Amino acid sequence: MQHNEYKKMIQLALYSELNANEQKKLEDHLTSCEECRKEMEAQRNFLNIISDSEKKVIDDALLHEARTQLRGALRMEQGKSMFNLKNIFNVFDFVNPPYKLAVVGVTTLIVGFFMGYLLMSPSPEIRYITSSDSGTESVFYQQDVKISNITFIDSDASDGEVEFRFEAVKPMHYKGSVDDPNVQSVLTYAMLNERNPGSRLNSINAMVSENKMDSDPELKNALITVAITDQNPGVKIEALKLLKKLPYDEDIKQAYIYVLSNDTSSALRITAINALFETVQSGQKLNEKDLKLFKEKSKDDDNNYIRHLTKTILQEHD
Amino acid sequence: MTLSDNELIIEANKGNNAAFEELIYRYDKSVLSIALNYVHDSDEAKDIYQEVFIRVHRNLKKFEMRSEFSTWLYRIATNVCLTHKSRSKKHLQLSINEEFETEDDDSKSYELVATNRDPGELASNTELGSLISEAIDSLSSKQKITFTLKHYEGYKIREIAEMLNCKEGTVKKYLFDATRNLRKNLSSVYAAAY
Repeated sequence: MQHNEYKKMIQLALYSELNANEQKKLEDHLTSCEECRKEMEAQRNFLNIISDSEKKVIDDALLHEARTQLRGALRMEQGKSMFNLKNIFNVFDFVNPPYKLAVVGVTTLIVGFFMGYLLMSPSPEIRYITSSDSGTESVFYQQDVKISNITFIDSDASDGEVEFRFEAVKPMHYKGSVDDPNVQSVLTYAMLNERNPGSRLNSINAMVSENKMDSDPELKNALITVAITDQNPGVKIEALKLLKKLPYDEDIKQAYIYVLSNDTSSALRITAINALFETVQSGQKLNEKDLKLFKEKSKDDDNNYIRHLTKTILQEHD
Repeated sequence: MTLSDNELIIEANKGNNAAFEELIYRYDKSVLSIALNYVHDSDEAKDIYQEVFIRVHRNLKKFEMRSEFSTWLYRIATNVCLTHKSRSKKHLQLSINEEFETEDDDSKSYELVATNRDPGELASNTELGSLISEAIDSLSSKQKITFTLKHYEGYKIREIAEMLNCKEGTVKKYLFDATRNLRKNLSSVYAAAY
């Protein structure tokens, strides 16, 4: 076997990818080859140093955030797929097959007239969401579409073609009930992703209207993510306040505990400790870990009010 | 009783969202880890994570269960990583159509690492970490994903070959080239290791 082949085997050996035969061959070679022994040592050191300094580990907050954003994105996906033709046919499952096509046809015609009326009626300010156009061809001819962030995949035009990506942004206007799944999808997405803090705040307030206090886990998870990770303290505090309106559970408690333990803003920690105080007053029990945190906070927190309230909570809990 | 992946897929395809969530939560931490170690940025990793599972959601009905769900999922994940364009635009715009990169790949491995730095200046772990990230980012996309999957995620070469849909020999080649390029780019930093 060539000397260079052994050098390649060294890396595989360090990753435990050699079979017994290959391992034996390499070991035999190493006993007689000083250069390969040095190479093995150098490779081992190199890979160790890279491993020690660079491995990125997933923490629970990041995973939670990713899952919450995914839920929002999937809701939007499902919202889109609700309007596909197959689902429209499924709606008419109760009709006998011979008449099904006719009923679907007549209904489509009525819906078509209705949509036509909506689109042609004189209210130029309001445009209704239509299914997105997957083809790019028409995008180039639409006057209200803004094209940005063009990145070239292939800018070499020698073969007569170029390839690039871009973002086409089209202004949309939508008006609907806060219980509408489309509205909820957009609001959840905005709550988590909108750059403007005011828009995030408005989205939170709109989502948690008084008639939605028994709302779904997705809303709860989105609020928890905002309360823990949003860059803007004002948005965080609003999310914390709204969490108080949802039915109390372990996830919500952990969000308060996380903010109390980790947030640098005393206003946020005060909101969290106030919420926890209310739950203790209403008879919720704290576990050993929570009590330990409160004992630490009663001594170490920078804020007088938090130190005082944690002491009160500990006394009330006893 | 715990349902198998295939049983969850059948349920998910009937529209059972809880089954879909249970299915993806079995693997999503690994997917996020692959993405994070590939792009070294948590926001971009979340973008990749989201794109992967949206593709899974869209295509789950087409999955015929001839292979393990995890193999299919990780193949999607590696494809999304390979086609991902960095938000910071510091990544090189390489064609993803290169099936097999030759020794000439060195030309694609740009010297992003300042090789004339005084090792004394590199005492901080943060700086070392960022130099290593730069060196890894300078690899070609396939070298980078192979090195990430092998070195940071610990997958076997056979598994990586399944994910990338190529031969084991090709994976080994990507791995050798990646390591050689990294050692070259980081040679001044890790001179002691040679």
